[in-house]
Amino acid sequence: MNNGSYSRLQQVLSKGDFAVTAECGPPRGTDAGIIQKKCSLLKDCVDAVNVTDNQTAIVRMSSIAACVHLLQNGIEPVMQMVTRDRNRIALQSDIMGAFSLGITNILCLTGDHQSFGSQPDALNVFDIDSMNLIHALRDMRDSGTDMSGYKLSEPPKMFIGAAANPFADPFEYRVLRLAKKIDAGVDFIQTQCVYNTKRFWEWIKMARDEGLAEKVHIIAGVTPLKSAAMAKYMAGKVAGMDVPDEIIKRMEGVPKKKAAEEGIKICLETISFLREISDVHGVHIMAIEWEEKVQEIVEAAGLLPRPQLT
Amino acid sequence: MQPNITIFHCINTFADGNFLPVGDNVNCELNMVKLPCSGMVKDVFLLRAFESGADAVIVMACPEGECRHVEGNIRAQKRVEWTKKILDEIGLDSRRLTLVNISPGDVNSAIDAIQQTISSLADFIPNPPATVRETAVA
Amino acid sequence: MIVGEQKTIAEIKEIIAPYSRVLVLGCGTCVKTCFAGGEDEVATLTSALRLAYNKDAKQISLEEFTVERQCEDEFIQEASAAISRNDAVLSLACGAGVQAIAKRFYKVPVLPGVNTTFIGMLEKHGLFTEECLGCGDCKLAVFGGICPIARCSKKLLNGPCGGSQNGTCEVDPETECAWQIIIERLTSLKQLDNLKKYIAPKDWRSSNAGGPRKLVREDHII
Repeated sequence: MNNGSYSRLQQVLSKGDFAVTAECGPPRGTDAGIIQKKCSLLKDCVDAVNVTDNQTAIVRMSSIAACVHLLQNGIEPVMQMVTRDRNRIALQSDIMGAFSLGITNILCLTGDHQSFGSQPDALNVFDIDSMNLIHALRDMRDSGTDMSGYKLSEPPKMFIGAAANPFADPFEYRVLRLAKKIDAGVDFIQTQCVYNTKRFWEWIKMARDEGLAEKVHIIAGVTPLKSAAMAKYMAGKVAGMDVPDEIIKRMEGVPKKKAAEEGIKICLETISFLREISDVHGVHIMAIEWEEKVQEIVEAAGLLPRPQLT
Repeated sequence: MQPNITIFHCINTFADGNFLPVGDNVNCELNMVKLPCSGMVKDVFLLRAFESGADAVIVMACPEGECRHVEGNIRAQKRVEWTKKILDEIGLDSRRLTLVNISPGDVNSAIDAIQQTISSLADFIPNPPATVRETAVA
Repeated sequence: MIVGEQKTIAEIKEIIAPYSRVLVLGCGTCVKTCFAGGEDEVATLTSALRLAYNKDAKQISLEEFTVERQCEDEFIQEASAAISRNDAVLSLACGAGVQAIAKRFYKVPVLPGVNTTFIGMLEKHGLFTEECLGCGDCKLAVFGGICPIARCSKKLLNGPCGGSQNGTCEVDPETECAWQIIIERLTSLKQLDNLKKYIAPKDWRSSNAGGPRKLVREDHII
């Protein structure tokens, strides 16, 4: 874990504050106004906002450009970058460009397969995987060299993140993979949405037993459910998602117009569960196209105001 | 013109299909092809039967679970389905090719199958189409 | 072996439309094994084409011929006479076979009747699975004999991704997650430590990314 400070998110985490991040999907078009609107909903209630990179392989405004819009609106972005669409030449070039524009957090991902997206006829790249990308970023930052070993002038210095899915199979191997990401140079981890708190706890325990939890900031993901249908969809259709039956039953057990309220209640319960775990250093609220609820959740969770940094 | 039907049959269904007493009940020209097992039928045999002028082809196989070679009749079924796809691709209506499971010596079922085939032939164009036949004759 | 699949009759009809005398040329090696272009498939396709043309009251002359191996000049020569009797060759070989014919017979149009799909194995009768991408730098020793480049949908060297669930791939639940198999196999071989090591980015120069490849065996060239 690096102790210099590159970003606000890093400062919050290294001070030992419980971090709060949110998510912003760029528009399917060029309208920066949409991003500004999302920014106004998220400003001052989170420490940083993830900007997705053509998530679910649907073509959108580039993550870098959307990150710059966030910066202009006073929000610190976490630039997501997938290895699906760019080879190592493009990835490194974009990282340098992003840093030059003021982007200081990055989340390294392999990315959803293009067959899920709007253009399944596209060729994928997958020149390197997310592990390789983490490694490359660490080398750039700490050794000042690109992947060829070339010494860069003013190398990019970013706070490096990666994803972890405590719920995917093979379960026992997930911790080994976390260890590899830490060795490769990751500073923070954002996890898949937590609904199955029992399994998440098992994963954290395994990470703790392996001495991994202390080497990385784990930010646990949560997504408030809007309806029972959404719960069922996520349980059945979203790869790598674990929504236990009791959550679905709870969502089904309330009248339709109370469902969103119940979803937020579950989300708040999950957040308080996560805050009790010393190895969880923050929460990542992925309110999908429901950004207006983030402020309410953060406030109700007692996480406001966000720390002011000098 | 009498319809022309080619029948591929397993020798365990009928030792010799030529004995089938269809002449009295059925008005068609039958070509019988004996096979040691229906599983020996191949896509190319079925297609060539059509090339030789068959309006319909029937494969007569033993009932499921009763093939002496365990899975010959299942293989026959699969090949018939495959060949049906080819016929549809060509635009020759795959209904003119069928497989029927017939117990050893069950003449009545065999005749039923033939009669059913003849009556269904009215639903689709003859093979080859009449225009081609006339051209060929001329 | 090389696995291929015959094109649809509609596409083949379109491809051969400009020609009146066509040689349907099979190959008795890989494509025979995967039922795409051996002697039997040549016979079936030719019969189907004749039926199709007959139905449309069109005339075409189709000749059948199959050589042992279309990607070797020695075997191709056997087809010379048949090729010279026709306007075009509809090759049911893999892409290598089609191009070998094109190289040998400079003035004859050679048309593909098969889509070459992958390097694979016969998993069971009638089922072929992709196993190798021909990347030119085999690392199967590290992965317990299961290739993540060919068999992981994302070519992950440090997999699995988060989409692996119940041993299947997120892209297609009918596809096994290669990483699940790698982990199981290395566990049973007591070699799971192989995966604790960081695996550096692949050097793709040995693959097709480095341009068309050539293998030279000096000891066999005279």
